[in-house]
Amino acid sequence: MSTENKKVMVVGGGIAGLTAAWELSRFNIDVELIEKTPFLGGYAIRYCCKATDECRQCGACTVEAMLKNVVNEPKIKVHLATDVEKINNRGRLSVDLKKSSYKPDSATEGVVRGYSKNNSPLHVIVDKEKCEENPDAVPEGAVELDTMGFSGKLDVDAVILASGFKPFDAEQKGTYGYKKFPNVVTGMDLELIIRENAIVVRPSDGKTAQKIAFIQCVGSRDESLGNLWCSQVCCPYALRMAERIKHKNADAEITVFYMDIQNAGKDYAGFYEKCKTEFRFVRNIPVDVFPMENDSLSMRYMNEEDGLCINEEFDLLVLSVGIVPGPDNSNLADLFDVGLNEDGFFAGIDKLNSTSTLKDGIFLAGTVGGPKDIAASMAHAGQAASEVIKHLGVS
Amino acid sequence: MTDMKNTDMEEINIATDVLVLGGGLTGIKAASEIAGSGYKVILVEKDAELGSKKGPELIGLKEEYKGLQDLEDKIKTDSNVEILTQASLVSAAGVTGDFTARLSKGKKVIEHNVGAIVVATDFATGSLNEKYGLSPADNVLTQSRMDELLASEADKEKLANKTVAFLVGLGQEGNPLVLERVLKSTLALQEIDGCDVYIYAGDLKVASNGLERMYKESREKGAVYFKLTEKPEIIENGKTISFFDTVARRNIEISPDLIVVEEELRADQLNERIAEILKIDVGPLGFLQNDNVHFFPVRSNRDGIFVAGSTREISGLPSAWTDVENIALEVRDLLGDGKKSVAKNKAVVNEDKCVICLTCYRCCPHGAIYWGDKKAVISPVACQGCGICASECPMDAIQIGGFSDEEMIEEVKSGVASGNGTPRILAFCCQNSAFEAGEMADIFKMQLPDGLRMIKVPCAGKIDLDYILNAFVAGADGILVMACHPGNCKSEKGNTYAQWRVNDAYRMLEEVGLEKDRLCFVGTASNMGSGFSSIVVDMEKRINELGLSPLK
Ligand SMILES: Cc1cc2nc3c(=O)[nH]c(=O)nc-3n(C[C@H](O)[C@H](O)[C@H](O)COP(=O)(O)OP(=O)(O)OC[C@H]3O[C@@H](n4cnc5c(N)ncnc54)[C@H](O)[C@@H]3O)c2cc1C
Ligand code: SF4
Ligand code: SF4
Ligand code: SF4
Ligand code: SF4
Repeated sequence: MSTENKKVMVVGGGIAGLTAAWELSRFNIDVELIEKTPFLGGYAIRYCCKATDECRQCGACTVEAMLKNVVNEPKIKVHLATDVEKINNRGRLSVDLKKSSYKPDSATEGVVRGYSKNNSPLHVIVDKEKCEENPDAVPEGAVELDTMGFSGKLDVDAVILASGFKPFDAEQKGTYGYKKFPNVVTGMDLELIIRENAIVVRPSDGKTAQKIAFIQCVGSRDESLGNLWCSQVCCPYALRMAERIKHKNADAEITVFYMDIQNAGKDYAGFYEKCKTEFRFVRNIPVDVFPMENDSLSMRYMNEEDGLCINEEFDLLVLSVGIVPGPDNSNLADLFDVGLNEDGFFAGIDKLNSTSTLKDGIFLAGTVGGPKDIAASMAHAGQAASEVIKHLGVS
Repeated sequence: MTDMKNTDMEEINIATDVLVLGGGLTGIKAASEIAGSGYKVILVEKDAELGSKKGPELIGLKEEYKGLQDLEDKIKTDSNVEILTQASLVSAAGVTGDFTARLSKGKKVIEHNVGAIVVATDFATGSLNEKYGLSPADNVLTQSRMDELLASEADKEKLANKTVAFLVGLGQEGNPLVLERVLKSTLALQEIDGCDVYIYAGDLKVASNGLERMYKESREKGAVYFKLTEKPEIIENGKTISFFDTVARRNIEISPDLIVVEEELRADQLNERIAEILKIDVGPLGFLQNDNVHFFPVRSNRDGIFVAGSTREISGLPSAWTDVENIALEVRDLLGDGKKSVAKNKAVVNEDKCVICLTCYRCCPHGAIYWGDKKAVISPVACQGCGICASECPMDAIQIGGFSDEEMIEEVKSGVASGNGTPRILAFCCQNSAFEAGEMADIFKMQLPDGLRMIKVPCAGKIDLDYILNAFVAGADGILVMACHPGNCKSEKGNTYAQWRVNDAYRMLEEVGLEKDRLCFVGTASNMGSGFSSIVVDMEKRINELGLSPLK
């Protein structure tokens, strides 16, 4: 075997990066896995199980399994809180790394927690002062962010970019009142709410949400934003979460406002038929949301049957946010000298090989190259690993 | 890999040739990739010619089509690829690493020893005219016919100044590939002088790269989309189409010159026969993969048998290519250099106890059991160590390494007896799901009863009725059987077997007068830390209401 000394860098430790790293390690290739935040798993490690009486094939639990594979694999070296600084192309790729400038989104507490038991460390201190005020609240084994991260040079034979996506920032659609009205949440928020609670409650008062509305295509398929793509994941996750809510609370009344419903699962027609018997589907995307008493929300929309406008109140509004290009795409594109497509995702060489790039030795895996669900991100990562192995001439 | 307590490894030789079934584009690509990694490939095609029977328009890849033909030429001269046309698979005995495939070609039967099998059948198209109440006529075209017309310059000219109506997503749920064909033809028609296009659509399945942009482009060029929830009224076999517009509050009527009806894309009719021969599952809609996340992307329920592209779901060539690359990895990993190190004791049959009753052979979800001299034989390569056979064998003739009956019962007894905390709750946890969730709850310091003991099993299918009864006899106050959710079992039906055994146990509890509520079967996923916590806390509450076990 000529695999000796072959080394590949994977940038991003989401499900795509984890899968790519794991696949390469199976062929005796050394992997350096670079992750900007202090935790592996990306977005998908946060998701809830959407099973009702049966598994709904959302794929969330496979991320947990893959993370476990990776942390137990000695051929994969993980660098948390680390970012790429510079590439020096000389034969092998020489990459300068630096401590990342990671800041948690919500720095309300001094400590941030990972989402999986396989995260190590599990707790990271991001604000020392806050922790000193209340040392008892700091969990045992918590590591200071300042002490994490790797600065230095690594020589590698190929790089897989797997830096992922960004969930659409719902505040950009101001009329929905996200972050203004407490009971307007995003699909990402709902994933966490369901993960922590058996029954879905309203953020404002902790009461069970009975009348729930989902608005689809928030930030996707939107000409005013220039986002001319379907995110592919938000119909499946919204319907699966709605089913899961209904399963735990049969009295919940759920309405889905949509343009076109996309398929979920292999028996998509059967699944959609079942959803139609349980939820109300309205083919209209409301524009304005108004706050009402008790923090309920009122929306105006057009009824399809008679073409009339209706105002209706809901307890909880879920914005089905989609996938937009990752925040580091343009920077990484410059560093690695790889092109982005017209939507701002990384471009593969052609339709059939979307994991290789025009730049020799640089490959793509997962949502860095466009919207994908977990299963498709894993498959894409497998394809990338296969292309890398061919590139390295490993036999 | 499974945790092995006694790793007793042996090295075995495996066959490194690979059988690829289906000589369409996906099969050709698979043969090329696998041969490229150094294995010999036998490529089997039922027809006389390799390659796609569908034109570049149908598969949506005009620009890349040339490259595909080059690929076909390349494998024809590749000494590592043996091509058998007008041939078919007759039988396949054996297990992963060692299949004996019998192929028929004309009157000849050819036998090949292969280590892995790749299924790469195509999808078929079917007319949906009937769903719209249309019958074939000069003005009624299938999507395939429209693709053909647009592929020929001469036919294209005849489409000038025509009004064309497409029907899509109202005769079936549809998928992005169906929509892509409509969008491609629409854009092509818009290049022809005087063509007007109307599209009557249900849900537009735009969930594929580039489709939303094509949709927008076609609208900007003048295509009119009517998004309906019901089929429009079709008058005189498509001479006129009419529907009531709820916004405009009036009927909208159009009389197109041509009406193009969407087609159903369905599983290859060969699939069923292949599944029968290979003993793999037929999943939803006749495709050869169950909807189980552990099989994604390219695994079947049997190790060493892989499914690519349209064999497993309706897929365009880009995702078929992704599948093939994944299969190339799997095949490399499986076959390596022809030597494989395997654990000897994953599952072992005791020759003296086996009465050849066939039970294990029938229940093994991985097809790992075959017949040897006077006893069942378990292939150490194919066996996944789930333990379903061991718990089902009426003679207790099978033992699983690290999880033997003796060890398990010992663990049950010491679990009930050791440490503090009442009520004593024993949770049998599948190592793939509930055990992970339990560890997560523990590590994240979620609430867990003091009297809880977790017992790890390789799969819920390993949970023997004996273990449950022994636990009650030893004094357990409550027992949880925690499996993967239905549809999420790595061994497909391990959780179903566990559920059956719990039902059997209920009957026995009734006989001895023990409350049913002391035993509970639940589905759990590995990421359900807080779910695990609330399940066990609820159980503790229920047991506290019942009081301690009268069997103590
Ligand atoms: C609300 C919501 C719900 C969803 N629910 C589901 C679902 O139920 N089922 C499903 O299949 N899919 C779902 N998806 C889609 C799913 O999130 C994606 O398919 C998946 O997370 C993609 O994984 P990834 O690895 O490509 O990207 P990411 O998860 O984004 O991972 C990328 C990783 O790279 C790191 N990174 C970024 N930049 C750098 C850098 N410069 N250097 C180093 N590291 C970097 C990031 O920190 C991150 O850890 C959902 C998506 C959304 C928005
Ligand atoms: S619903 Fe999702 S998380 Fe739950 S078991 Fe199924 S795939 Fe796993
Ligand atoms: S998946 Fe559904 S909600 Fe998401 S962008 Fe596509 S159509 Fe809209
Ligand atoms: S179930 Fe038991 S007795 Fe029956 S064939 Fe298998 S090993 Fe032999
Ligand atoms: S342990 Fe599972 S995989 Fe192995 S032979 Fe028994 S039933 Fe089959």
